[in-house]
Amino acid sequence: MNDRGTMPLTTYRFDFTGRNGEYFRIWIVSLFLSIATLGIYSAWGKVRKKRYLYSHTELDGTGFEFRATPLAILRGRVIALVLLGGFALSSHVLPIMQLVFILILLALTPWIVVAASRFNARNSAWRNITFGFDGRVGEAARVFLGFGALAVISLGFVYPYARMRRARYIIEHHRFGETRIRADLLPGGFYLAYLLATLMIVGTMILLVAVTTAMVLVSGAAGKQPSGGSGALALVPIAMVYIIYIAVFAFLRAQIGNLTLNGVVVGPLRCRSTLRARDLVWLYMSNIVAILATVGLATAWVTIRMARYRARNLYLVGEAAPEDYAGAAAVHIGATGSEVSDLFDVDISL
Amino acid sequence: MTAFEGMLFDGVRATGLPVQLEARGDEVLIAGAALPPRSINRDQITADAPIPGVPRLLRLPGGELIETDAHDAVAALWPPKDILARAAFAMESRWWAALTGLAVTALSVWLIVAFVLPFAAEPVSKRISPGVEAYMGKQTLALLDRTIFSPSALSEEETDDYQEKYAQFVDGEDEPSTRLEFRAAGTPNALALPGGIIIVTDEMVHATANDAEFLAVVAHEIGHVRGHHAMRLVLQDSGLAVLMTALAGDAVGTTLLAAALPAVLLKTRYSRQFESEADDYAFAMLKRHGESPKAFADLMRRLSLEHHADDESDTLHRYLSTHPATEERIRRAEREQ
Repeated sequence: MNDRGTMPLTTYRFDFTGRNGEYFRIWIVSLFLSIATLGIYSAWGKVRKKRYLYSHTELDGTGFEFRATPLAILRGRVIALVLLGGFALSSHVLPIMQLVFILILLALTPWIVVAASRFNARNSAWRNITFGFDGRVGEAARVFLGFGALAVISLGFVYPYARMRRARYIIEHHRFGETRIRADLLPGGFYLAYLLATLMIVGTMILLVAVTTAMVLVSGAAGKQPSGGSGALALVPIAMVYIIYIAVFAFLRAQIGNLTLNGVVVGPLRCRSTLRARDLVWLYMSNIVAILATVGLATAWVTIRMARYRARNLYLVGEAAPEDYAGAAAVHIGATGSEVSDLFDVDISL
Repeated sequence: MTAFEGMLFDGVRATGLPVQLEARGDEVLIAGAALPPRSINRDQITADAPIPGVPRLLRLPGGELIETDAHDAVAALWPPKDILARAAFAMESRWWAALTGLAVTALSVWLIVAFVLPFAAEPVSKRISPGVEAYMGKQTLALLDRTIFSPSALSEEETDDYQEKYAQFVDGEDEPSTRLEFRAAGTPNALALPGGIIIVTDEMVHATANDAEFLAVVAHEIGHVRGHHAMRLVLQDSGLAVLMTALAGDAVGTTLLAAALPAVLLKTRYSRQFESEADDYAFAMLKRHGESPKAFADLMRRLSLEHHADDESDTLHRYLSTHPATEERIRRAEREQ
């Protein structure tokens, strides 16, 4: 079997071992103390929640470590809150300010991406070896704003390529210890994923027009509006749009997530991701129902089950053991970028 | 003398080495199969803040790390100094404490939404300079003119006639002063902008059967202006946004929608309270001028009938509508006459 001296491929599993009850208590205590301290504790709460989730995300039996200090996060939060407050107030006082704000935020995107990636990488460790990020703002501007503008100008045709370049930029500038992480990505898969998503949306729109026309014809044939029933029927297209939105969202998450992660190469090891759109559709739908039905209390349970799903669909495959990586000295980095991206939900995921 | 086991990670290679630790007075002895035994002063080792269910991490002076599940031993040797971390750990470890925290959280959220925000917004809104309010009103009107309003189609005589009635009606009323303007919008509506601009749509003017009904509409809007409702709504909504961000800061992607729904419902609740307040003001003002609040009830009844003829099973819309249940408002107006 073992011809020409090649070593057999070994699979290193990710796993998630967090427990609902434990995390629920940490989550609810964080919420309670945050309100009791007028929000100041939220930084401590965030660190505790992340430490719990990181330490229960295991690779080859060892959990990850989140090292950020609450004070760094608090500083970032204050700045992010001022930005958010300015954004919210400006819209009331001077509507044009909102546009200016969005433009400023857009211009800041490269800096936010770099700062957030650096903060998160430097504060993540596995077996006492920290990750690192050394991307430059200039290159981030070219990749995020330059290709973003091209995507708009080309009416979206360049978008899948721009998305691939974004993923490549983020991956390639990460290090694990002193091992540079490489990106092995091709635009083909990205184009296929976005093409299929577009077809799903177009197909739904055609179906929607057909259903609406049929409904109008039926109610027209009945002579007058059927009392009571028409209101419920009118909800059918809305529900359809929402379900399709979640389906397309889940499909892209699974496809783009798999394409990106499968292109991550750490030394002799390669990531293998097995996310499935139908699993994600079920998870997202049931998450929303659970959160609405429990007035938000299911948030902790949602966090745990999503972390478990992601971890159990991720592997490292290769010839060498992951212990053959050397460490590098840690450097202190502020949290502002990370917190700004959290509050404004800027998508800088892989 | 305490002894326990752990895994040592040197920070150079991603490999763990099993080690035994033993505390002897101020010294901690660390030994492992592949390591020469050494002794380190206890104060030179730092332990991370404890979290239930998370292994403890001990940092050694040279950057090495020891991970251990010996929670009791670490807690005894390196008791956490940070009072916040201690309190959090104590609460997180006990179901009854966590659930008490939950109950207090729910209660305080309800208190903030129902009482603190409305109560705090009122004095703040009165302190905002009239210049700022007038400016906001002008900006909003400019935006509405560009989007949903078109110039009024009322004739000059009609406009003058209504302006005169309005002037007589508000003559002798207290500050802040208001200004009446007409616009076409496609639906019967009236609104009060910050700074005292009152807009009545042509369609609303046509919907009124007599002067009393027109003045009832104007009185309701003056109620909004006098209560600084536009400003208070802005302040309360902003407070609500901050609260929601604090509560649902974890929510991302699809679950964000689940967090947005309660915010919409709460905003609706605030609007309804202001509508009731403006109604009360209108009833009192109408009575002061010898008019009956019945005019208000008549107009409301006619408008709601027309609305229902258009679209009969609009329960969701009615539920989310910013105005209190029309029936209730009509009943209140009739009680007042």
